[in-house]
Amino acid sequence: MRNTNVLILTDDAEFARLLTACWQVERQLPGICLVTSEFWKEADTSSPDLIVVGPLKDGKLGDVLRSMEPNTALILCAPSEAGELGLLRKKYPKLLHVPLREDWTQVVLLLAGESLRRTEALKLARQAERHAAQYANQATLGRYMYDMKHNMNNALTSLLGNAELLLLEPGGLSAQSLAQIKTIHTMALRINEVMQRFSSLASELREGETQSQVETEEVNSTSTPRR
Amino acid sequence: MQFSDVENCAERMSVQKKVLIVDDSPAQVKLIQSLLEPEGYWPVGLSDPRRVEEAIAMERPCVILLDVVMPDRNGFQVCRELKSNAEFNSIPVILVTSKDTASDRYWGQQQGADGYVTKPFTREELLRAVRRFA
Repeated sequence: MRNTNVLILTDDAEFARLLTACWQVERQLPGICLVTSEFWKEADTSSPDLIVVGPLKDGKLGDVLRSMEPNTALILCAPSEAGELGLLRKKYPKLLHVPLREDWTQVVLLLAGESLRRTEALKLARQAERHAAQYANQATLGRYMYDMKHNMNNALTSLLGNAELLLLEPGGLSAQSLAQIKTIHTMALRINEVMQRFSSLASELREGETQSQVETEEVNSTSTPRR
Repeated sequence: MQFSDVENCAERMSVQKKVLIVDDSPAQVKLIQSLLEPEGYWPVGLSDPRRVEEAIAMERPCVILLDVVMPDRNGFQVCRELKSNAEFNSIPVILVTSKDTASDRYWGQQQGADGYVTKPFTREELLRAVRRFA
């Protein structure tokens, strides 16, 4: 909840003071920003995760709601007509209404907590999806590399073998050519080392995958089935 | 063919050991030939794995160097079929391949291969494998 932001939008100073004070007693506190309906449009609210709307000046509620994105998570703390609320809920599916009764602060904190936890969970899920997509791309590259290993080894065989053949009879070669062929040979051996390390890494990964699969199957077989 | 050519050929056959190289890549065949020739072997190249039996019957090699990844008929298949053929199963087969995992080696062994050389190989590695049999 520490990474979430809440915007309290009200023209009632007492409402804002009371809600902020209650929140500060909580163990986990989101980032809180206070704003009145007068400065609502000008204020840099930097897309809050939740907006708590308290009592506003007459006629301001409609303006404020109209300027909000329909998907904004919203808690409306105001006495409202049942019909009016029905209309608002249709337009703002994430709107929650808290009547201003005695225990309204507790209800707001409870609802806000749930809403922010949901926001956090969604953020984590999106992050996990992004990572999964990244890993999938990397896996594709790895698979391509692995598939290309055969071609790479064939090319290396020619490179190494022909360099060795030339080095076997260096008589007709100049010192410079000889040095260049030796470089080609050394570099081909180095590429070969890289490819071998790649192969052993692939084997280790396969081995690890098999082991974890065995462990998972063992855990599954020992756990009691639920009814 | 002149008499001297026939004589040279007969001499070569009596002294040099014939090695059949089966690889779909002509560049690889040529390379292996170039590596074996200076060592006194008589390398014979074949790029079509479907004609291995025919080539063996004609050339009578002492040892076969066999690639694995080839179109139409892979090296494991060729090896398995040679080893189950009474006429050819005494000829040592060395698999020369870029398939370098332990399971590939094991599978090669299961097909009856007598040796295994992974690509890329050094001249010494190849010669060591051939010298075991010829």
